Amino acid sequence: MTIRQKICLLAGASLIAFSTSALAETTVRVTIAEYSKGTGPYFEEAAKAFEAANPDTKIQIEVVPWDNLQQKLTTDISAGANADLSIIGTRWLLDYVKEGIVAPLDDHITPDFKARFIDTFLSPSVMNGKVYGLPIAASARAMYYNKDIFAKAGIDTPPATWADFKTDAEKIKKLGGETYGFGLQGKEIETDVYFYYGMWSNGGEIVKDGKSGLDSQAAIDTAKLYKSFIDEGLTQPGVTSYSREDVQNLFKQGKVATVITAPFLSNQIKTEAPNLKYGVAPIPAGPSGDKGTYGVTDSIVLFENSKNKEAAWKFLDFIFTKEQRTKFDKVEGFLPVNAEEAKDPYFADNADLKVFTSLLPNARFAPVIPGWEDIAQTTSNAIQKIYLGQGDPEATLKEAAAKVNETLK
Amino acid sequence: MQRATAPYVLILPSFILAAAIILWPLKEIISLSLHDVNRFGMIRDFIGLQHFRVLFADPDFIAATWRTLFWTASVVVGTLVISVPIALILNEDFYGRGIARILIMLPWAISLTMTAIVWRWALNGESGMLNSALRGLGLIDTNIQWLAEASTAFPMQIFIGILVSIPFTVTIFLGGLSSVPDDLYEAAATEGAGSWDQFRLITLPLLRPFINIAFVLNTIYVFNSFPIIWATTQGGPANSTDILVTYLYKTGFRVGKLGEAAAVSLIMFAILLVFTIIYVRLAMREAKS
Repeated sequence: MTIRQKICLLAGASLIAFSTSALAETTVRVTIAEYSKGTGPYFEEAAKAFEAANPDTKIQIEVVPWDNLQQKLTTDISAGANADLSIIGTRWLLDYVKEGIVAPLDDHITPDFKARFIDTFLSPSVMNGKVYGLPIAASARAMYYNKDIFAKAGIDTPPATWADFKTDAEKIKKLGGETYGFGLQGKEIETDVYFYYGMWSNGGEIVKDGKSGLDSQAAIDTAKLYKSFIDEGLTQPGVTSYSREDVQNLFKQGKVATVITAPFLSNQIKTEAPNLKYGVAPIPAGPSGDKGTYGVTDSIVLFENSKNKEAAWKFLDFIFTKEQRTKFDKVEGFLPVNAEEAKDPYFADNADLKVFTSLLPNARFAPVIPGWEDIAQTTSNAIQKIYLGQGDPEATLKEAAAKVNETLK
Repeated sequence: MQRATAPYVLILPSFILAAAIILWPLKEIISLSLHDVNRFGMIRDFIGLQHFRVLFADPDFIAATWRTLFWTASVVVGTLVISVPIALILNEDFYGRGIARILIMLPWAISLTMTAIVWRWALNGESGMLNSALRGLGLIDTNIQWLAEASTAFPMQIFIGILVSIPFTVTIFLGGLSSVPDDLYEAAATEGAGSWDQFRLITLPLLRPFINIAFVLNTIYVFNSFPIIWATTQGGPANSTDILVTYLYKTGFRVGKLGEAAAVSLIMFAILLVFTIIYVRLAMREAKS
């Protein structure tokens, strides 16, 4: 054996030794929902920073498009191949808790840790008095309006009530051309929520006393109101072919004067339509002054079957520090969930975000009920039928409510 | 004895492979469809045919089944009817035939999902290419909201389905046409047969086995085809463009009723099994003759 060969052998042996020691490290797998193209890079960077501080732990980030998240989690969990941590919609959390899939975090949570959070955003993840998830993403909804179109139509302020809004939309229609007052979503994810905005203003609830609120007078009035917007040509034509992104795009193109959506639209406008003059206003109120916005959080959860709970918790602790949260929320355009973070001038002095945070006291979070997605689908289908004129609002909503009540049982 | 067992022993390895790939999952799905299953695939009580009963009581499922049959029939027949003349033209010897063949085959190289997403953009009511093209040509004054209603969305989806099935079908037909000997046509021409008679009496009968194969294979692909409908409408609005696969996906992965989803997939499997049996029988008949 030549010296050269010996060196090669030694090098090989040390490589093997090195790789086995690498295997001995703890690896924490994290499933991440992709909110934007910045999500993956942010988490990779956070993982690197964490690994630098904790050399014995490796973080493995798995980025999944939001639309495929449920499918991936379902298949992974049923095969027992799920990651240690995952982002999930807080509205799904009850199903996970009921089946004992996710672990409570209370043993790890110190009062100091808890104090980091704005309570409104932490409380949706608390079930049966235990914390089952931490709010990784938070948003609320408000009305974006196009200042130029409003000015052209002679409207000075954003509408305070739905009645004002309708008058405004009529004025915008009189401008002629293909500009519409109300950007109404009628397709895909959150079609139901777009309907709830009006329903909440009319004093309705998604679920009241364990029963669906879809057959309430508030819901019926809202359906008739939205339908009148459609029939009178105050929305873009063909609402059932416009998903949330599609309506946002119409708004960026100046084809609709308003859209109700989440704060991340501000970031998109900044890069895609920097010349668009827009304002953010609360969702219009109903006849008796009721108003509401949708508050949404996504939670990051720790799976019960994780073998690396300690290491996983350390990573959670790390990404919920003020520095990490600030970075993440700036990338995504979400609302701050961390009280210290909210004082950062970027958030505190941001005119758009101020409107969103001012709405939080009236925010409704998805109710803690099983089968949220099932109810969402039933509701969306009923509303699409009404928008298309294929069903009488009252009868269609009553039928949907009966179906939802079956799910709630 | 030796001679009798030998074939079975020889078949055994491939049988085990097929069993592992087909029979084992089938057994799992049957078991899912007969049990109460939670949304994470954990099996609870045995409930017999309850999932099937729920399905057959659901008007959306029944509508999706009929729509699937209509969808499959329209796309397959449409594809065959359009592909035969295309194959005949591409079989002629003309200047630029190579380029023409490439152009017809090119869509095959693009993933179905991407084609479908491009169409979703093209069909957008306000900023879609199709509406702006039609307006540019002066054919319409107001935008058509293609995907807003099933009455316009579903025909468009069938059209896209036909478009993406053509390359594969034309390829099969070109293979078939190249095996038709030229002297048959020469002989027919001397006997005074016109081009329509030549097509009817020579081309079509000789192309028949290829049409059969294209028919059955397309049926299986189209029946199971998910991307076109999912990317354009997700089966909406109000389930009005759902076919069985999109219904299955929603039931299983959105709503989390894995038991019912398993039952849907079994029903789909049964329908496809019938097609496959037809295919095998056709293939065997060809082999005999």
